[in-house]
Amino acid sequence: MDKDFAARRRRDLIIAAVLAVIAALTPLFVKDVVVQNILILTLMYAGLSQSWNILSGYCGQISLGHALYFGLGAYTTELLFTKFGVLPWFGMLAGGVVSALIAMGLGYPFFRLRGHYFVIATIVIAEIGLLLFHNWEWAGAAMGITIPIRGDSWLKFQFLRTKLPYFYFALALCCLAWFVTWWLENSKWGFWWRAVKDNPEAAESLGVDVFNSKMGAAAVSAFLVAVGGSFYAQFVSYIDPESVMGFQFSLLMALPAVLGGIGTLWGPVLGAAILIPLTELTRFKFGGSGRGVDLIVYGTLIVLISLALPRGLLSLFSRPKKTGAAR
Amino acid sequence: MTALLETRGVWQRFGGLVANSDVSISVGRGEIVGLIGPNGAGKSTLFNLIAGVLPPTQGSILFDGEDVTHMPAAERCQRGVGRTFQVVKSFETMTVIDNVIVGALVRNTVMREARRKAHEVLEFTGLAARADVLASDLVPAEKRRLEVARALATEPKLLLLDEVLTGLTPTEAQTGVALVRKVRDAGITVLMVEHVMEIVMPLVDRAIVLDLGKVLVEGKPADVVRDPKVISAYLGDRHAVGA
Repeated sequence: MDKDFAARRRRDLIIAAVLAVIAALTPLFVKDVVVQNILILTLMYAGLSQSWNILSGYCGQISLGHALYFGLGAYTTELLFTKFGVLPWFGMLAGGVVSALIAMGLGYPFFRLRGHYFVIATIVIAEIGLLLFHNWEWAGAAMGITIPIRGDSWLKFQFLRTKLPYFYFALALCCLAWFVTWWLENSKWGFWWRAVKDNPEAAESLGVDVFNSKMGAAAVSAFLVAVGGSFYAQFVSYIDPESVMGFQFSLLMALPAVLGGIGTLWGPVLGAAILIPLTELTRFKFGGSGRGVDLIVYGTLIVLISLALPRGLLSLFSRPKKTGAAR
Repeated sequence: MTALLETRGVWQRFGGLVANSDVSISVGRGEIVGLIGPNGAGKSTLFNLIAGVLPPTQGSILFDGEDVTHMPAAERCQRGVGRTFQVVKSFETMTVIDNVIVGALVRNTVMREARRKAHEVLEFTGLAARADVLASDLVPAEKRRLEVARALATEPKLLLLDEVLTGLTPTEAQTGVALVRKVRDAGITVLMVEHVMEIVMPLVDRAIVLDLGKVLVEGKPADVVRDPKVISAYLGDRHAVGA
């Protein structure tokens, strides 16, 4: 039994390594900038969704406000860069720490809420964040921040002539989020989180610190999402409140995980690999503003998934009974 | 020898309802004690007070020489109080072994050891063959057993069993009884709430009968079942006269 388990974990790790190598090689064949762009976004959202999945999938605290952490990552990095000349690499770390701290600060009151009340609170808080940044003059208010371009540089993490560095960073972020999940899955925290999701009262009776489990999940989740936000800011080199803290980001983190299989190791990656190219392509095909058609695509997918496969696409692959958790 | 568990003048009121009034009981080390009584006697309330689900309105609870009256459930578990739930609360999306690992993590910080401990407990409770099945796929009797396994994995000094034998077929109940004996033989004190007198009476060393929130009688099971007060509490005064 133990051998089975160890073998399964090793298998997951090997599959991930193989996929990562394949992904790393794609730029050799894919020269088209539009397609590269889609690949970058797919990898980024896979990483973001994987991070979202830690709090909402494993620990069961459904957040529809993760855009807040994404935006905080972006703003922290760019404010530090444009106002104080701090390199984005440090800004990225700072953004992660700021987000993790804010996530815990918000968790303090909100983790006492259950179910739908918690979800509503996360939405409201993210909207408040959005409004605050809209009105914060020093941070550019509604005008946002344009990142000064000084030519291609790894030090400043900005590139005009090629998208490849962004591609590899997005890949690294995705791998990091996956690996953190893989590692935590078989740790005390991973078990605590799943116990808290399934039955907090029983978890408590077994010595699980329910409140701190949620806080830990929130911190890890927010940190990784903020790193994603920092990356995105560098990638698009212009940020304003809507473009890094809008509600659509919260959705785009939640949907891949829900589509692929919420609370599973592979769900977010699978979901992102399907959803993001699909939405980007519809946006591409059906015109610039795009806001309408891609939302119709999400909506339809979610309705279909929740009707036909409530545990996500991965449940198609899980052997019944034997393996337990869908993976 | 000091008692492992002691409640001193415990009261619990829910609004106007007095669920426990002035309950003082004690459970000695190595005992199997049955907490019985008719419906609404306050057994479950007392049980939850001991497990730490909520603090009593008044009175104090001592465990292993320490005042735990206001200690939350998770900390009591670390001190050595294990419990099961009357309405089973399995971690439904997790496998049987994973359910038990959650309990084992209380005393084993290394995953490998927690996993080994969990396997050991599954072996002990006769669930080893079901280790990799999802908890949601277990039959009710197995779910009860999983509750016990999970609690045992926390390596408790005191195991609180909330109606683990109720609603089982006679054969299942007999296996359950055997398991409780095995638990006690492993050196764990057992306090069990039960409904079904004929199953629980041969099993326990001592029975405490609650009625209307108060301790009615306590003593050896054979004496308790003959006590007119107990008979009248269960069956009404008419039946007690002849006893």
